[in-house]
Amino acid sequence: MSTTPVIEVDRLKLTYGDFPAVRDLSFEVRPGELYALLGTNGAGKTSTLEVVEGHRRQTSGTVRVFGRSPGDRRVVRPRMGVMLQESGFSPDLTVRESVRLIGRLTRRSDDVDRVLDLVGLTDRAGRKVAQLSGGEKRRLDFATAVYGTPELIVLDEPTTGLDIQSRDAVWTTVDRLRENGATIVLTTHYLEEAQQRADRIGLMHQGTLHREGTVSELTRSLPAVIQFRLAEPVPLLPLPAAVGADGTVVIETFALQKDLHDLLGWAQDQAVELRDLQAGPTRLDDVFRAITH
Amino acid sequence: MLSIASSELIQILRNRLVLVTSLIIPFAVSAFFVRQHETFADIGSLGYIAAIVLFTVAAFGLYATAVTTLASRRQNLFLKRLRSTAAGDSTILAGLLLPPTAIAVVQVAAILTALAMVAGGPANVALLVLAVLATLAMMIGLALATAGLTNSPEHAQVTTLPVTLGVIAVSSWVGISGTENLAWLKRLLPGGAATELARNAWNGGVAVADSLLLLAPTLGWVVVAVALATRLFRWEPRR
Repeated sequence: MSTTPVIEVDRLKLTYGDFPAVRDLSFEVRPGELYALLGTNGAGKTSTLEVVEGHRRQTSGTVRVFGRSPGDRRVVRPRMGVMLQESGFSPDLTVRESVRLIGRLTRRSDDVDRVLDLVGLTDRAGRKVAQLSGGEKRRLDFATAVYGTPELIVLDEPTTGLDIQSRDAVWTTVDRLRENGATIVLTTHYLEEAQQRADRIGLMHQGTLHREGTVSELTRSLPAVIQFRLAEPVPLLPLPAAVGADGTVVIETFALQKDLHDLLGWAQDQAVELRDLQAGPTRLDDVFRAITH
Repeated sequence: MLSIASSELIQILRNRLVLVTSLIIPFAVSAFFVRQHETFADIGSLGYIAAIVLFTVAAFGLYATAVTTLASRRQNLFLKRLRSTAAGDSTILAGLLLPPTAIAVVQVAAILTALAMVAGGPANVALLVLAVLATLAMMIGLALATAGLTNSPEHAQVTTLPVTLGVIAVSSWVGISGTENLAWLKRLLPGGAATELARNAWNGGVAVADSLLLLAPTLGWVVVAVALATRLFRWEPRR
């Protein structure tokens, strides 16, 4: 597989009037990887994707998709599926007509019925888009993005508004596409989805990239946490700890396994009961909060 | 382009409001003019009836429908969706505008044929075809420019009024009063020269070379409208 980046963003700047939506943003997406662009509302994720999709022209900086300008639609779009954040389908067309129209215009070939089956819209094929629920519209959007199995799929909040079954169906399809070598770029507010599936994550805040890396690389920078409550006060704990107002003892550690082992050994030796003991690795939520506070 | 055009035609046929605006109103108004051709021929001439019918269809059937369609497709992000595909901007616009244009051409042809059958045909069919094509091109250009100023299909009911009423008023003025007085002003107003061309084509009696010169102001309006559209047209709603 080629190692040339599928997407190259270099010092991207995008302003709306005087408002800088994206500032000095640089990242690459490699072939076959799932890259998640995460951030708060207004962080600039969708603006960035819209430049990558060719919907918006950058104020400055360089963006290349498959080595070409995103505006080079005839070359780029047949290789790229796009799921927009908002629907964008004509309410008077049926589901089947919508998929057929957008599918044909992508210049990829596929079977409309297969795609409808893939997203669970077979029984809605003859319905007008106006009659679909919000979740069904998202699935229709997903159907047009994966039509013809493109090499690159850009998913802007793909699971927002979907029930758990539909969400699972979306991820099953994404997994299958990845097995076939597809590159995925996604934004989502569901951090656990990114944590479970992304090869690399870019964390955006206020228009720029604050952190980037694998989940492990991102969480490594923050300590893991052990917390418990004591049945009775003890004169001295074996590790540096903070005690909250409610009596919860919190130990932050970069050596979770060793410190937890030492703590349990100490508790055993001293016959100390550690109530409500919890220990776990740093979560993406914690990293996210750290950069936004 | 044909995929977009066929989907657009389906949408027009499924939307009763657009169907009434683009098909029934122009047809009913034109049918009235044809039925009362003797009265209107006395007021102006048969050429005037041909011109007013042409502008009624071009204004209501093509221009207003095109503006409403473009505003609606932009508002519900359908234009953005189409731009997510490999289709180029000109292909998208051509696909969207082809159905109302084709409907307008068929309507004008049918109504003028009916007029020819009941009142006698045009003196120069080729010149009449040129007048029709130039008028439709001007109205498409004006529709693209107006669509840039129109936020929604509801807003289109207001933004289309100046051009719709304006070209019909100019056509009536030029068609009834002729161009013996204020010739330059009448020819430079949008629709003025096209009306005179249609009148000459139907009534005859004017040298073809002189009539062909009347294409220039209409084509000038096409250039102005396209230039405005290039500056004003938007693919997405304002943020």
